[in-house]
Amino acid sequence: MVLSEQLPALIVISPLICAFLSPLLYRRHARASAYLVLLSLLLSLVMAAALLIKVQRSGPLFYQMGSWPPPWGIEYVADPLRVYMLLVVVAVSLWIFLYAIQDLGHELREEVIGWYYTLYSLLVASMAAMTLTNDLFNLFVLMEICAITSCAIITIKEDRECLEAGFKYLILSAMGTGCFLLGVAMLYMVTGYLNFDFLQEELSTAVLNYPLNVFTAAALFIVAFGTKAALFPLHVWLPDAHASAPSPSSAMLSGLVIKIYAFTLFIIFYRVFPRSLLDSLPLSEIVLWLAAFGVMFGSIYAMLQTDLKKMLAYSSIGQIAFIFMGIGLDQRLALVGGLYHIAVHAITKAMLFMAAGTVIYATGVRKISDLAGIGRVMPLVMVAFTIGSASMIGIPGTGGLISKWYLALGALESGRSLFVLVILLSSLLNAIYYMPIVINSFMSQEDFGHEAREVPKVLQSALVIGMIFVALTGIFSRPLIQLIEAQITLLF
Amino acid sequence: MRITARLVAPFIQLYGIYVIVNGHLSPGGGFSGGAIFGSSLVLVAISFNLEAGAKQISHHTASLLESGGALGFTLTGLAAIFLGGNYLANQAAGFPLGQAGEFFSAGAIWIITIFIGIKVASTITTLFYNIIEKEQTVGVTKRTDR
Amino acid sequence: MELLSGLIDNYYYFVAIILFVIGMHTMLTHSNMIKKVIAMNIMDTSVFLLFVAIGYVHGGRPPIIAGNEEALYVNPLPGALILTGIVVAVSVTAYALSLIVKIHRTYGTVDCDEICKIRGDE
Repeated sequence: MVLSEQLPALIVISPLICAFLSPLLYRRHARASAYLVLLSLLLSLVMAAALLIKVQRSGPLFYQMGSWPPPWGIEYVADPLRVYMLLVVVAVSLWIFLYAIQDLGHELREEVIGWYYTLYSLLVASMAAMTLTNDLFNLFVLMEICAITSCAIITIKEDRECLEAGFKYLILSAMGTGCFLLGVAMLYMVTGYLNFDFLQEELSTAVLNYPLNVFTAAALFIVAFGTKAALFPLHVWLPDAHASAPSPSSAMLSGLVIKIYAFTLFIIFYRVFPRSLLDSLPLSEIVLWLAAFGVMFGSIYAMLQTDLKKMLAYSSIGQIAFIFMGIGLDQRLALVGGLYHIAVHAITKAMLFMAAGTVIYATGVRKISDLAGIGRVMPLVMVAFTIGSASMIGIPGTGGLISKWYLALGALESGRSLFVLVILLSSLLNAIYYMPIVINSFMSQEDFGHEAREVPKVLQSALVIGMIFVALTGIFSRPLIQLIEAQITLLF
Repeated sequence: MRITARLVAPFIQLYGIYVIVNGHLSPGGGFSGGAIFGSSLVLVAISFNLEAGAKQISHHTASLLESGGALGFTLTGLAAIFLGGNYLANQAAGFPLGQAGEFFSAGAIWIITIFIGIKVASTITTLFYNIIEKEQTVGVTKRTDR
Repeated sequence: MELLSGLIDNYYYFVAIILFVIGMHTMLTHSNMIKKVIAMNIMDTSVFLLFVAIGYVHGGRPPIIAGNEEALYVNPLPGALILTGIVVAVSVTAYALSLIVKIHRTYGTVDCDEICKIRGDE
């Protein structure tokens, strides 16, 4: 058994085993099960970093589940782009879990915290496997695990709003999955394969013989992934779901879960559909225009909100639309910008939700208008919020600028300058709703009206890690950008 | 109803075990067999009261078996890694394949099927206990005025 | 006319698509939550029907070896995929139903419009 070849399976198994062990351990000793989850996520992170080094050095790694060769078996592929996404997923989940250990005692009942750890580990395992998988039906099963666990970490709080929001999310998510499965059935009917590589070969001839099947499948995939990743008209579940969830769940959902579906849509567009299909059908056009509307409407709705977490949730809709805009522009630099924005937004939005969660933990305040003067009482938290807002707006020195810069360059190079205007306008709108909170909290005349508890060291250190990450993605972005750019060039 | 349930429950359990064990030989397998076995335990709890059901298999044991079944499945796959193949490998990892049609054949499939059967049966029982125990402690549902 | 004869020849696929659309429409428009869960099940079941119908071979027997192995068998591969799919659909249904039980305990109703009204009043 060569360890480095078994890494793709081991990275997924480690949180999976921990998910099943954790309820058994939680009965005896509650802290031990938290440390077990932490240990398994750390192990996955180390293995993901080792996998990245290995595939950078020796090329993509093809892993066959059960030693059955494709097309009979399920295949996992580790090439540098997918391992980059895997690294983002595992690293950000580890960081959010550090925050969650302290914050959960305040938001959930005692008995259900053990189950929260199980759901969290299962969510991380399913997302990690979703980045690596190369088989459509395996993708369906992992999407369902992700949907159930992400809905369960919302409703585990068991108060009035989160139950209704969770049910709405579950129903819309089930509709997305139904559409996805119908699309898979359409493709399977025509080609007889479920493996991405075999499908891509077969589809170049199948499009000529059975065009309607493939077109229907493409449309169904856009609807399915659009619903699950909150693309513009299908985003209605997101504000309630992300605002009423416990804070670590909000960070996890806004930061990682919606991104993984956008990434999967990107993989399907470029690894499953042949280039001739993308050139003949206006698939990218549709995604681009929906994304442009999403960017504008997300920012406009966010300006009208009075609740802090709802505003951050609407902002997520706008930012995820940036990633879809990168996919829709169908151009090298724009794709680099969109994929880099996955990492940037995951880190930034997780930090913003953690800052909001810390404010709620310490003071219980959720309305924006009550936040006047809080910067003088809790300086570290509000500095973190400021740096996060700067990244969302796109101020130089933070990661948000790099991804928006590449998106704008891509839009200019493909001759569509209207979208540069959309990007600039959305940055302005982001400033309109983030800056008042920052300014009000530090420089307002009145003092903060509610009493503030002591913020524990764990929460403070989580925010400091976030600030360091945001600065790193802004200033030392070169290695990651080069990695992504090298991979994207292979696709064109 | 009580007499019938008392009489029929062992036969249902035997049929459930038969379906689980014949997973790799004929239609059936862990999921359906586990569902049959689990519903026999729920039948006893419904037709008598909750204590008779708890004597068959208590809430605590059911939760333990649930995690244990899933762990067994995952660890069998992991064992395949240590034996030489990839995750969940069957023949490539050296599990013995017997004659087609015997029970101890087809490598690791019967091990996995038994674990799945245990897990599904205990999951159905745990779900039932969770819903019923909440009803008894919370009481009548709160109604809002309309 | 060839459209109609095509539809009647492949009536499995046609019925599966009709069931899918019925399920999706009911899931999105009817306000009773239990109806939504039932419609979700109809939608998933229709896609499973489509998958299994893909594997059908005219004149084939069920794919169980009993004695002679030289007969024409129906393709068992889509059926094996659907077994996994059915378990997944059952899990989602179980979770949705337990969520409905909790919502009923909190709000006192399982009708979406009434819940919206209650949320709007408070």
